[in-house]
Amino acid sequence: MNKSNGEPSKIVQGPVGSIDSDNSMDDPDDDFRLVALAQKGDLKSYDALVTRHRGRIFAMIRNMIHQEADAWDLSQEVFIKAWNALPRFEAKARFSTWLYRIAHNVVYDWTRKRKIESAGELNDEIFERERIDSASFTTPSGGESPDTSMSLGELRMKIQVALNKLSAEHREVVLLKDVQGLSYKEIAEAMDSTLGTVMSRLFYARQKLQTLLKDEYESR
Amino acid sequence: MWLDDELVGEELALFEAWVLGQPEHLAAREETRRWRSMIASALPASEEPPYPDFFNTRIAQAIRDQTPKATVAPEKRRFSWQAILMPLAACAGMVLAFWVGTKSQPKVEIDVAGAPRAIPVEQIIYTPESGVKAELIASQDASAMVIVLDGVRAIPDSTDFSETTYVPVGREFDSTASVETAISDLEAP
Repeated sequence: MNKSNGEPSKIVQGPVGSIDSDNSMDDPDDDFRLVALAQKGDLKSYDALVTRHRGRIFAMIRNMIHQEADAWDLSQEVFIKAWNALPRFEAKARFSTWLYRIAHNVVYDWTRKRKIESAGELNDEIFERERIDSASFTTPSGGESPDTSMSLGELRMKIQVALNKLSAEHREVVLLKDVQGLSYKEIAEAMDSTLGTVMSRLFYARQKLQTLLKDEYESR
Repeated sequence: MWLDDELVGEELALFEAWVLGQPEHLAAREETRRWRSMIASALPASEEPPYPDFFNTRIAQAIRDQTPKATVAPEKRRFSWQAILMPLAACAGMVLAFWVGTKSQPKVEIDVAGAPRAIPVEQIIYTPESGVKAELIASQDASAMVIVLDGVRAIPDSTDFSETTYVPVGREFDSTASVETAISDLEAP
């Protein structure tokens, strides 16, 4: 299924500071209750889980690959794979962290496949691109004043351009930490790496991004 | 971890107490907070996918499609004498019915002497022209048959047989004939 554009998306801003996060949709206790029902084969409960987490998974994948249509497909793949692996899910980690782990694998598999398919053709390596796809989000959301919205739209574009200059691992760690608000430990679980690696990647990724966004960053 | 506000409890209290005298660390934390705030304000943490209901429906459909449908196990057949005896009984019944049928029908005697016999008939050869006598000579040994017509007038040399035969004209020639033949036929008066 390929969709180039769709309905206006409901945007939930990141988890930091005064920015509102979507905590009501991310209650781990509710997740565990629904997971327990879904593990017994209750598709309705799983549908509720999909509804609760689809926004974050879609945003994460979209920010990773910058293609809305593919992000739509890959997000579905994440939930289908999660359903198949649900009997093996143990409540040691949050359900959302587990989903990020699956999303990580799905995105990397997709990228690997793309590399193989485009081998010998133009060098259109997705993670090295310095451009923003035409479907990237630039529309202001409803709650902001037009000036603020325009400014945020421009900022988003600049951040996305800068993110595209990072390696996939650096980009992912920034997105998981600074956008999704995961802890170091959760990021390590999602990316299947150590705490030290996560900290190191985050440090270098932020440093590079700050250099790339120097003008924006200093003006704020 | 302290920079990213991940320290909690006693660890946090201890570190906070120590860092009060370290302004550069406090500045670094503020810098990190400012950075995260800027990124988070520009990039959404959650964004509903286009057509969210359809999104869910497709996932549910994919899950249903891959779920193996419960198949009804074929019932194990138990050995039963009835299964063997029934076809045997049917066969025996058919044989018996046939035998009874042959015994019950009256015998029909065919009267061969009273049957019509073939009468030898002399062969007659019809000729359309009166005065012409025809004779048929057939030889089985030679596998040949000759008809002799006596009294037929001699055919004059002036007889034009072409009037009695069909000669193709114009384009009515055999498509398999050579081109030269076809052209010469067309050119002929």
